[in-house]
Amino acid sequence: MTRTTAGTTADTTAGAAGVRAAPAAVRVRDLTVAFPTAQGERAAVSHVSLDLAAGRITGLVGESGSGKSTLALSLLNAVPKPGQVTSGTVQIDGIGDVLALPAPELRRVRGAEIGYVFQASQNSLNPLKQAGKQLLDLGRSHGQRDLRGLLARARELLDGMGLDPVRVLSSYQHELSGGMRQRLGIVFALVLNAHVLILDEPTTALDMLSQAAVLQIIRQVHAGRHLTSLVISHDLGVIGELADRIAVMYAGRIVEEGPTGELLADPRHPYTRGLLAATPRITGDLELARPLPGRPPDLMTIPRRGCVFRDRCPIAQPRCAQTEPPRTELSSAELSSTEPPGTELPAAEPQRPGAELRGAAPPGASGGRQVACYAVTGEGP
Amino acid sequence: MRAVRRVGTRLLTGLVLIWVVASGTFFLVRLMPGNPVTAQYQNDVLHGMSPDAARAATALLYGFVPRQPLGQQYLQYLWQLAHLNLGRSISYEGVPVAHIVASAAPWTVILVLSGIVVSFAIGVSAGVLAAVKRSTRLGDLLTVSGSVLHGIPQFVLAILLAYVFTTIWAVLPFGAPYDVTIAPGWNVAFIGSLITHAILPVAAYALSGYGGWLLTMKSSVVSVLGDDFILGAELRGLRRLTVARYIARNAMLPLFTILALSAGFMFGGSIFIEEIFDYPGLGYTLLASIGTRDYPLMTGTFLIITVAVVAANILADLLYGVIDPRVRRT
Amino acid sequence: MTTTIPMLPEEAAAAAGDGRPGRGRWRGRGGSRGRGRWRVLLRTPGRVFGVTVIAVFALMAIIGPYLYPASLPIDPGAIYASPSLAHPLGTDFEGTDVLALIVTGARYVLLSAVIAAVVMVVVGAAAGITAGYFRGPPDSIIMRVTDLVLTIPGFPLLIVLSTVWDFGSPYAMGLVLGIFGWGGLARAVRSQTLSLRERGFLEAARGLGLPARHIVLREVAPNVAPYVAMNLLLSVTGAIYAETGLFFLGVVPFNAGNWGVMLNIAVFSAGAVTSPQALTYLLSPLVCILALTLAIVVMLNAVDEWFNPRLREP
Repeated sequence: MTRTTAGTTADTTAGAAGVRAAPAAVRVRDLTVAFPTAQGERAAVSHVSLDLAAGRITGLVGESGSGKSTLALSLLNAVPKPGQVTSGTVQIDGIGDVLALPAPELRRVRGAEIGYVFQASQNSLNPLKQAGKQLLDLGRSHGQRDLRGLLARARELLDGMGLDPVRVLSSYQHELSGGMRQRLGIVFALVLNAHVLILDEPTTALDMLSQAAVLQIIRQVHAGRHLTSLVISHDLGVIGELADRIAVMYAGRIVEEGPTGELLADPRHPYTRGLLAATPRITGDLELARPLPGRPPDLMTIPRRGCVFRDRCPIAQPRCAQTEPPRTELSSAELSSTEPPGTELPAAEPQRPGAELRGAAPPGASGGRQVACYAVTGEGP
Repeated sequence: MRAVRRVGTRLLTGLVLIWVVASGTFFLVRLMPGNPVTAQYQNDVLHGMSPDAARAATALLYGFVPRQPLGQQYLQYLWQLAHLNLGRSISYEGVPVAHIVASAAPWTVILVLSGIVVSFAIGVSAGVLAAVKRSTRLGDLLTVSGSVLHGIPQFVLAILLAYVFTTIWAVLPFGAPYDVTIAPGWNVAFIGSLITHAILPVAAYALSGYGGWLLTMKSSVVSVLGDDFILGAELRGLRRLTVARYIARNAMLPLFTILALSAGFMFGGSIFIEEIFDYPGLGYTLLASIGTRDYPLMTGTFLIITVAVVAANILADLLYGVIDPRVRRT
Repeated sequence: MTTTIPMLPEEAAAAAGDGRPGRGRWRGRGGSRGRGRWRVLLRTPGRVFGVTVIAVFALMAIIGPYLYPASLPIDPGAIYASPSLAHPLGTDFEGTDVLALIVTGARYVLLSAVIAAVVMVVVGAAAGITAGYFRGPPDSIIMRVTDLVLTIPGFPLLIVLSTVWDFGSPYAMGLVLGIFGWGGLARAVRSQTLSLRERGFLEAARGLGLPARHIVLREVAPNVAPYVAMNLLLSVTGAIYAETGLFFLGVVPFNAGNWGVMLNIAVFSAGAVTSPQALTYLLSPLVCILALTLAIVVMLNAVDEWFNPRLREP
């Protein structure tokens, strides 16, 4: 049985043992990941720039097919073939450009500096080996001399998450429940004291109680170890709970980015507004949730000129079909006005979107808001 | 204790199978044109034996006696079988069938096992290579070679091998299990000749089995390569050797059951190789007994071959339960 | 939020790779599918070879016996002759032209193999679908029987059987081989049917109140068709192997034209393996069996692609 998941000090003590003093920032610049097709190369991620602020949790929101998983994998230079990174850099403090690392260094970085946590539904562990044995494999592959210490750290982590360490480490993957697998995944990602953590859909495929527990754990380990984290999800509620800043992704581009509280309370990009309008609330009428018209494009149907969202956009202008809008920072004047200029959104939402989806950090913290939309920024000819 | 129950069920099924086959052959012999049992009995009587003596002699040969009610004969037959009594051979002048089978079995077992080991080893290695290099020329070549060899009938391959290496390019001996001019014994010359004579038949087994292993292993590796845990291992920075071992163990898992099963098939197919290369194994004996209408020997050999196949199948089942932890607990 | 099943970039690339556009732009599919499928059969040189060989042998089987008199002429003066203009492949132990033997022998080989394959497929598919669809007691019974058929060693059984029954005629041979060979297909079809069941196709159809016969024909059959087709081809090769093998071993009554018999005489009587005599007599049937089997193996890939256009590599 799981014990209480209330915060423990285990994480800070483990943190003190080997975690960096200062967290590392991640800077993605102009990243493009392309896949070859019969009709030429198509970009799943197109000229994306993103900052993961040091010591903060950044949330990446998008529907399936938006390119968010591909983006996450490229942070480890692990884009599946036949895809390739065709432009850009991924700079991490203390490591340099991940995409330029030679193979042995890349292997070291994966696991020891950057930890990747899979979804619980994926079988990310070898089904034929016990979890503890695989932990030892991990340690040996990374040249860890003190394997006992490694196991001890893992046991502490598991303990702190409310699991029985002995039982979990001697189990095979199929003997663990979804919640246990998710927590074990986090342990594997952190046991070598990585300082960047990437979580891919950490609560999808979990029941509500496990979700709550896992969210709690993520917050704990993040704080206790001064991590820089990226949380990927299609679930706005989860992102709202965890992230300090949110980046919204659509068709391989980041269309809006900003502090969580502000962004959810006052979304500017029509896609973000549409997402929020479409999210049903626990209170209130289901009818009020209005889905976005049309469907998101897949790799082959992403428009090649102009704004990728224009086919579904209620405020599209002729200019949107010509060139792709650049991501622009909104001035404080633009932010404080309540009504974005020249927009007519279909039927004002009766409640302010995002009111309950509060952000983890106070509004206005750490940086402003960027939006890629001509209508919003009123830019260009 | 579930494990015990599983073993028990398998064994029971196997025994039932053997019983079915034994009964089948019992009735088959009675179906033979000019029922050999009665013919034997009558023959003995004709040669001056008293009916009782004749009956006893026939019983010795066949395991049952004519003129008894069928049910009783059947039971007597089963009774003898349970005591591992397979009757006596006609063509070998009353030698117990069990003895003949026992002396023939080693030839078959040695050839078949060697063949399996070699074909498994080269097939699996080639399969891994074919999977890893699957979009390259080498991979395609390997796959094609596997498919082609897989489709060629075993005896065709055997004849071709024999022809090429015995006549066109006379490097290997042909026609006997060992050089008959050397006295059998634990000496180097004899063992050496055993080995050289065995090269061709083992090669025939190996080459005909290689294709199947290659194709199966390739598809298993390809499917494992697509599994999430391989990505997980790579994203965690595991050493390449470790990842390779993960892939290998997972891919080989389904192959072990096929290994045991194919042993069973090989026993059945040993007839061709033993005929072509003149090895006095079980298949050879079975075929010879057909020619001489030696029914006790025929049914006895057939039964033993079936037992071997059934045993291999049971082994395959049990083996899988042991090596796959996902199955072990159920 | 609208839901749609999006493609991963790799999937989209793969789908685009075979020439069909993504969902955004529909082109008429009928035309490309119709012509494209048959082209699959000739796409590579290997397949051209395969189709040609099969066609040649089929032709031999159909019209071969009409090209020669009912009993082939013997020529005591030219036993085991070398190839010449009169006898392009030499002669056999009686002086009969080897080419004639091959051509007339083709009919038996192909006819019995096809019959065997058809029997195997019909019985096997029926057993597999019944077991997988109805489950429960029919499933257990059918599976027990299948296990029995699969476990009992085939060749030894056939050999023992040959002492009580002469199945030398192509029809009897086909029947016998078919009856002992349907096990593998039954298992494969059953597991495919079961997986269809898991995926809810069958539940959905039954929920709509469709009669069982309709479900089987419209839902199950098209899904197992690829397995059946591939298995049909494999069964043909297996049957060729089995019947030429049986004749080769000499357990089935003599039929001079059969390729297996030719091999038997060549190897055991003429000692063709160890001497240059009767070389063509040995090699001709060998090469024919080889060619036919290879041709069918090559076509296996083609059949797979025929059912599964996505497998086509650009």
